[in-house]
Amino acid sequence: MSKRFCVSLTYAKNDTDKATVAFVVANAAVASDKETMVFLSIEGVRLSQRGYAADIHEQGFAPLAELMGNFVKAGGKVFVCSPCFKKRGLDEAQLVEGATVVGGAKLVEFLSEGSPCISY
Amino acid sequence: MTPVEAAPCCAADLTPHAEWDAGHTGCGELVLLLRNKLLALAPGERLRLVALDPGAVEDIPAWCRLTGHRLLQAKPPHYLIERRSTP
Repeated sequence: MSKRFCVSLTYAKNDTDKATVAFVVANAAVASDKETMVFLSIEGVRLSQRGYAADIHEQGFAPLAELMGNFVKAGGKVFVCSPCFKKRGLDEAQLVEGATVVGGAKLVEFLSEGSPCISY
Repeated sequence: MTPVEAAPCCAADLTPHAEWDAGHTGCGELVLLLRNKLLALAPGERLRLVALDPGAVEDIPAWCRLTGHRLLQAKPPHYLIERRSTP
């Protein structure tokens, strides 16, 4: 059984339902002792900015900022697609705790060493 | 040599050391909070959980198998879980 787990998320405020569920599943993985990484790309990179998720709260779920904070506190990592980040003019100084801007090689390395990946 | 008398057979001690009513919390939120509750206990201590989410019926046993915590009783919505010995 793989010790790793990847959640790929390409949405932010353009689909708050997907963004929320992705982090709920990521929390399930990290709680199950998996080395868990959320890969934010396309619009998903906007979630890497401090304060961005503050007003996202899907009915029946915890607020997204709380889900993200709990994920990182439990040891989860957030990788942020570098070209997607730059394309949107986002600010590296405003990264949320636990987020790291990475290139594709980091994702390829994580997956190539053996990891399932679910995409939203 | 006098044989040592075997201890009388008795039911396992299932007294919980802590209780948590998770209400309708489910999925990843439930197991992440559950993880924190269990790891706050000493190895071998037991947590009585009440989880009303319909997914918990399958999730709690799966999560215990994944993490090594021992599911002693499952009578949804009531569960009794023993904290694992490893960190």
